[in-house]
Amino acid sequence: MVVIALCAWALSTALYAGGTKETKKTEAKATETAAPKQLRYATIAEPPSLDQQVITSDQATTIAQHVFEGLYTFNSKYDPVPLLVESETIAQDGKVITLNLRQGVKFHNGKEMTSEDVYASLQRWGKFGVRGPVLFNHVNQVKVLSKYSIQIEFKEPFAPWKSLLAFINGGAVIYPKEVVENATKQPIPENQYIGTGPYKFVERNPGRYIMLEKFANYQSRKEDPDGYGGKRVALIDKLYFIPVPDVATRVNGVKAGDYDYAEQISGDLYEMYSKDSTVRTLLNEGVIMPLMFFNSKEGIFKNNFKLRQAILACLDMDAALQTAVGPQNLWASNGSIMPKSTSWYTIDGTDLYNKKNPSLAKSLAAEAGYKGEKITFMVSSAYKIHADIGMVFSKTLRDAGFNIDLQVYDWATLVSKRGDSKQWDMFFTHHGFIPDPILFTFMSEAYPGWWNTPEKAKLTEEFTVTMDPKKRLEVWKKIQSLIYQQIPIVKVGDVYNFDVYTPRLKGLGTTQLIWPKFWGCSLE
Amino acid sequence: MLRYVLKRLLSMIPSLFIVSIIVFLFIHFIPGDPAEILLGDMATPDQVQQLRQEMGLDKPLYIQYWLWLRNAFRGNLGNSIFFHQPVLSVIFSRAETSILLASMTFILILAIGIPVGYISATRYGSKLDQFISSASMAFASIPTFWLGLNLMIFFAVYLKLFPSSGFPSILKEGKLSNLIYLVLPSITLSAPNSALVIRITRASMLDVMKEDYVRTARAKGLPELWVNVKHVFRNSLNAVISTLGFTFATLISGTVVTETVFSLPGIGRLVVDSILRRDYPVIQGIILTIAVVYMIINLFVDILNAWLDPRIRTGAGGSV
Repeated sequence: MVVIALCAWALSTALYAGGTKETKKTEAKATETAAPKQLRYATIAEPPSLDQQVITSDQATTIAQHVFEGLYTFNSKYDPVPLLVESETIAQDGKVITLNLRQGVKFHNGKEMTSEDVYASLQRWGKFGVRGPVLFNHVNQVKVLSKYSIQIEFKEPFAPWKSLLAFINGGAVIYPKEVVENATKQPIPENQYIGTGPYKFVERNPGRYIMLEKFANYQSRKEDPDGYGGKRVALIDKLYFIPVPDVATRVNGVKAGDYDYAEQISGDLYEMYSKDSTVRTLLNEGVIMPLMFFNSKEGIFKNNFKLRQAILACLDMDAALQTAVGPQNLWASNGSIMPKSTSWYTIDGTDLYNKKNPSLAKSLAAEAGYKGEKITFMVSSAYKIHADIGMVFSKTLRDAGFNIDLQVYDWATLVSKRGDSKQWDMFFTHHGFIPDPILFTFMSEAYPGWWNTPEKAKLTEEFTVTMDPKKRLEVWKKIQSLIYQQIPIVKVGDVYNFDVYTPRLKGLGTTQLIWPKFWGCSLE
Repeated sequence: MLRYVLKRLLSMIPSLFIVSIIVFLFIHFIPGDPAEILLGDMATPDQVQQLRQEMGLDKPLYIQYWLWLRNAFRGNLGNSIFFHQPVLSVIFSRAETSILLASMTFILILAIGIPVGYISATRYGSKLDQFISSASMAFASIPTFWLGLNLMIFFAVYLKLFPSSGFPSILKEGKLSNLIYLVLPSITLSAPNSALVIRITRASMLDVMKEDYVRTARAKGLPELWVNVKHVFRNSLNAVISTLGFTFATLISGTVVTETVFSLPGIGRLVVDSILRRDYPVIQGIILTIAVVYMIINLFVDILNAWLDPRIRTGAGGSV
C-alpha cells in the first residue's frame, strides 16, 4: 500500500501540474464572468431515450421532466394541476373537455406553442404512446378550436383523463408539430428533443452524461410551487446526468465532491449516511410496490382463486421486506394496493394480507384441489429486491408444502418468457407510483397475467365512467376487494428509496417526489 | 517475415467470419427482445410486434445475418437499438477510455512487473525473493472490486488526491490532465496483472538459469549482470511477451469490474450493458472488434517472439 500511495501521489502531482496551466487560464476567465453552476447527478443507469411519449424508464423521466412538459402535472398531494393549460371547461357530463392553452409559451427552438402542436402531440401519443391508448380508446375525436384552444370529445365520460394527461412517464408531453407529426413508435431522435421546459437538451455523450442547459426564454407559471406544479425557476445553469451503476461509487462520488446528487442508495446504508455530516439523505416519496403476478390465462392458477388465496395466506410480507430492503422506515407492509399517502388508500378486502399462516394455506390448498403440482416461479436477478423477496417467498411456500420451481433470469429473459403463458405460473416484478389505479399494469387485460374476469370488466367500466371522486373511491374499494378475492397479483408492500446529496445543494425540501427535480434548487 | 505476416493477416478473414456467425446465432438464441426492453411494461403485444417490424427483427435469421454481413463489408455495422447512433461511433466513443486505461495499466505493469521479477529471480532464495513472492501472491489474490473501492475511499474521498470516478473525454475536451481520472483504475488493474508478470518473469528466468549456456557464460568469467541481462533475461522473454500480449488484449477488450467500480465508459461495460439490453448490433459489432484486436495483438506477439528467437523464424526445433 505504501508503494501504491507513493506512486499515486507522484502521478497526481504530475497530472495536476500538467493541468495547472489550463486551470489558471480557466480561473482567469472565471474572474471575468461568474462560473456557471453545474449540478452533477449520478444515475443508476442510462436511459434508452428521453422521448417521454414512448418510453417509461424512470431514469428517462427524471431527466426529461426538465425538458418536456405536459398539459397537466401533479401537485404535492398528487392531484392533477394545470401546466401548459390555462383553463378547462367540462361539458355534457364530462364527455366534452375544452382546454384553453397558456399563451406565450415558447419551445426551445423559439417557436410559440399553439393548439396545432398540442393536437399533433396528442395524436402521436394516442396512436403510438405507451399510455396513450388507455385514454384514446375512449376518445371520439380531438379538435383544434382556435390557436390556443383544443377540444377532446370522449365516447362516454372518462374520469381519469386529467391524471393520464398529467402523468409524464410514458405520457402526453408536448412537442412542436414539425417534430411529432411524422413520428412513430420509434423514439424521436436526440436532435429533436425540443420541449417547453425550464431546461433544454444540449448533448448526450453515451456512457458519460446527458447535459441540459437552462432555457433563458422559459415561461413559467406564476402560482407558488407545489409538487411538480406552480412556478418553475431554473437557478442552476447546467444539469449533468451521469450513469454510475455501482451504488458505492455513487455515494463515494458525492462524498469526494465529484457528484452533487446520487439516486437509489441501498437501504442497508441508510442508517450510516443519515449520521454522516458530509452528505444529506433524502427519502423518495415515489413508492415502489413489489408485486407477484399469477398466470390467470393458463396453468394451475387459471380460474383457481382458492389456490391463489392459499399462496397469499402463507406469505410473510414483513420478513420479505426486511430481507430485501432493510431499515423499517424504508418499507411498510401495506395491503392497500395504493399507498397510504394517496386518497385511494383503503384496507377493504385485505383480510388475507400478511397472514403468515401456513396451516390456513394448507387447508385452502387442499380445498383448491392442489396435489403438489409444480409451480413455476420466475424472478429476475437484475433487481436485488425481486431476487431477495423471491427467495424468501419460495422458502416460505416450500415449507408450507407447495412445489415451487424458482427460476432466476436476467431481466430481458424474464420479460420475454412472461409473454408466453405456457412458461410460468407466477412471476415477480414491481410497480412504480401511479396517480390513478386505472394505470396499474394488471388492470390491462393485455399485460402478462391476463386478468380478465366478467366481475373485473364490470367494475373497471364503472370506475372509468364515474366522474365524482368520492363515488370513484367507493368503486375502487370494490375493485380492491375483488383483487383480494381473485388475486391476479400479490402486493408485498410499499418500498421507498433514498438518495444522498451534497450539503451545498439547497431547496430540495425534506422529501423528493417520484422523480427528483431541480428547478427551484440552487448550489452554494 | 513479410510473407509470414501476410499469411497470418489472410488467415484472420475466415476466423472473423466464423466469429461473426457464432456471435450472431448466440445472441439471437438467448431469450429476450430489444423491442420489449425498449417499450417497457405498459407496451401491448401489438406495439412490441410493430416495433420489431420497424427494427427488422421479424425477418428470418439468415436474412438478418445476410443484411448485417453485407453492410459490415461496407463498413456499416448498423445502428445501436439503445443509443440510436451508429455502432461504430458508439464503439469509438468507448474505445478512447479502454485504450488509454489499457495503456496506462500496461506501462505500470511493465514498470513494476519486469524489474521486480528480474530482481526476485536474480536474488533467488533470499529474504527479498521470499517477500516479493509472497507480496505478488497476495496482490494476485486481491479482488479488483475490493482494491478499487478501497483506493477510491482512501485517495478520492479522504485525501482528495484523485477524482473518484468517471472519465471526461480527452479527445473532446482537449485536456490531457483528464488522465488523472484513470490513475486509480490503472493502479487497481495493474496490481494483479503486475503480480502475474512478476511471477512469470521470475519463473522463466529461473528456468533459463539452469541452461548449460548460462553455466558456460559464468564459467567464461562474464560479469554476473551481463550473464543475467544478455543470456538469462533475453532468453526468458518469450513467455513474458506472450503473457504481456494476452494481458494487453484483455485490458483493451474490457475490464468490466473495474469499469463498473470507477464508472468508466469503456468497452467492457458496453458489452455487458448491451447484452442485458439485447442491443444486437452493438454486441455483434463489439465482439467482432474485440476479435480483431485479439488477432492483431497475437500476430504482434508472434512477430516479436520470432524476432527475439531465431528458432521460431527458421522453424528449427528445440525447446524454448
